[in-house]
Amino acid sequence: MTALLGARTATPLAGPLLYARSRAVPRALVVLLASAGLAVWAAHGLDAYVDPSRRVPVVALTPLFTSAVIGTSLYTASDELDRTAVRPWWRLRAVHLLTLSALTAGLLSLAVLGHPSVFGPPAMVRNTLGTTGLTAAAAALLGARLSWLPAFAYVSAVYVGAASAHGRLVTVWAWPMQPDGGAGAWAAAAAFVVGGGLYVVRGARP
Amino acid sequence: MAGLRVRHRRTVALDSVDLDLGPGVHGLLGPNGAGKTSLIRVLATVAAPTGGRVELLGDDVRDRRHRSAVRRRLGYLPQEFGYYPGFTVREFVAYVAWLKEMPAAQVPAAVERAVERVGLAERVDAKVKTLSGGMVRRVGIAQAIVNEPDVLLLDEPTAGLDPEQRVEFRALLRELGTATTVVVSTHLVEDVAAACTEVTLVEAGRIAYRGTPPALAELGESAGGAGDNPIERGYTAALRTHRAAALEEAALEEVAR
Repeated sequence: MTALLGARTATPLAGPLLYARSRAVPRALVVLLASAGLAVWAAHGLDAYVDPSRRVPVVALTPLFTSAVIGTSLYTASDELDRTAVRPWWRLRAVHLLTLSALTAGLLSLAVLGHPSVFGPPAMVRNTLGTTGLTAAAAALLGARLSWLPAFAYVSAVYVGAASAHGRLVTVWAWPMQPDGGAGAWAAAAAFVVGGGLYVVRGARP
Repeated sequence: MAGLRVRHRRTVALDSVDLDLGPGVHGLLGPNGAGKTSLIRVLATVAAPTGGRVELLGDDVRDRRHRSAVRRRLGYLPQEFGYYPGFTVREFVAYVAWLKEMPAAQVPAAVERAVERVGLAERVDAKVKTLSGGMVRRVGIAQAIVNEPDVLLLDEPTAGLDPEQRVEFRALLRELGTATTVVVSTHLVEDVAAACTEVTLVEAGRIAYRGTPPALAELGESAGGAGDNPIERGYTAALRTHRAAALEEAALEEVAR
């Protein structure tokens, strides 16, 4: 309704609101809020006060789902017309990705408050940014609609294989399953910066 | 444009195309795969040429700053344009106006005007997804003219329009062509005959013919092309002549080797 009024009466927010609706951002926000609520409920049900490491499924899998939601919101139905825009796309893309990522990281962290060193908020923020970075890179290289696929494959493989893996680099490549920040946090940050940067510069592949 | 060349992987879509277009309605005719859409996409600054030089409204479009200035004065209807399912006609056209960085205060009136010109004023608040194919096409034309462009590029604009809508659209084209450079890619020779001031025939990535619609019709009568009306006969005669010349050129090159 606000966007409709904006389109009728020239409000400064009309354009950004139409952009958000063109990417189905309102729907993505609803799903992200619901995911955060589900994460809070799931973390509470795991009796994590007994053993914080029980929060592993919530910390590893919820960011995977929310990154898929963010990734699909990067899709444009009108790529050909978008390419004739005067407005610089990189700003819109950056604001879109950063806003949803920050909001999701903040909301999901609420699910794992307490015992920050064992699958607490730092691990949740790391996983949210890392999986979103992978998804953003996939949106730029494969297209937004399939952007969830590489992150899903990677995190699933790590989730299954990390427990039996050994070696110095495990803390790096198995970052989604690390209990705290550490070296894995740098790997996830790199995924976010590179993947996010790729999307901001190139946009989603049609 | 001079020496324009466009390649899609191994295929040459356009080869050494020299073209100079001024105000008026320019019809682009040619068989499927001739290179019409490639030409329109380069002019729309959507695709970069492989070689050659393209100047639009006096600016070289390879330069990013110039490209933005050109895009402000450009309208484009792609062959297939996607629309956002939740958008109304008004919202979609307003969104494109916003992407073109039109001043916010001008957008509502510009949207009303553009939608009225394509005959959709009564459906301005209808969701685009509820409209028929012909109406969606008209929404596409509305978004292309919302910024009152100096160069208007329309790729198959009459696809899906019924006969009455096509007659109205041709009238709109003629009106737009008085002050604007309009380039219309089409398969329908009757659209060219009725609305265009100039016709360019593209065949296998090259310009096969340039002239006015009456001159093309005359060629059909004198050269005896196949078809049901003079312009169709002109179209087939020009194609036949171009293909014969291309074969002759290829044979001469073979001999020279």
